Amino acid sequence: MKMLKWLLILIVLGLGTTATIIYSGNVDVAADEPHSDLVHWLLETTRLNAISKAAENIKVPDLTDPELLLSGGVDYGFMCASCHLKPGQSESDMSLGLYPAPPNLAVSDYNDDSDEYGDDTQADRNNFWVIKHGIKASGMPAWGKTHDDQRIWAMVAFIKRLPSLTPEQYQILTAIE
Amino acid sequence: MKKSLIKTISKIALVLIPSISLSMTATAHDPSLHAKKAEKADCSKMDHSKMDMKDPVAIAMMNKCMKQADKSNNKMDHSKMDMKMDHSKMKTMDEKKQKKADDNNY
Repeated sequence: MKMLKWLLILIVLGLGTTATIIYSGNVDVAADEPHSDLVHWLLETTRLNAISKAAENIKVPDLTDPELLLSGGVDYGFMCASCHLKPGQSESDMSLGLYPAPPNLAVSDYNDDSDEYGDDTQADRNNFWVIKHGIKASGMPAWGKTHDDQRIWAMVAFIKRLPSLTPEQYQILTAIE
Repeated sequence: MKKSLIKTISKIALVLIPSISLSMTATAHDPSLHAKKAEKADCSKMDHSKMDMKDPVAIAMMNKCMKQADKSNNKMDHSKMDMKMDHSKMKTMDEKKQKKADDNNY
């Protein structure tokens, strides 16, 4: 009975604290002010685990077809490059202004980070899932609402090769025919 | 009368000042950063000697440049061309220039 009483007090206290934080208006929601380390860790860990779990059963098709690079390249140039950059570019208005900052997909550090995604196939699955479904409150849209799976896989194939491309190769692959 | 005039001016100022300052910040950096240009592939920079023809990137680049070259060739409307070209008056191209022209086409 005593235990139950304490549990009830704790729940009321927890709810009260949460309500105070929500309604006080003291939470800084500005994108130019980063999260504290704890909040950053909480959100990042939640995001990575959620994406990996949601994407774990996606079947990855053959991504070596050169035609995928052409279709994916044009889409990447129009839809992704302004935030996720391109070879030879280190920042843009969007990459500087968005928070969380969009990853620079043109550098190998991101794609080679196998600790983050497990392995290469899982990285492909995760990229497909993120492009298709987007990420809440991050600036990443759900492109699956307007693009079919084939086009999204083409973008995944392009992103896979992106860090190894020179600015000249990038220009040719992303140019409009 | 004076009071209502001051009120109107302050209302106008309230609308104008933020809009002017906002438009000033919008033009503060290079607008070309936001311009989306439909660029054609610049195939002149392709270095065939360094290309691995088994690499999907190289194959994709070749396909794109070939398609682009085909398209620009097809754009010529032969039906509207004046067929009175007098080939006899044309200078023949020497071998070196011909080779250079061929290289530029690929």
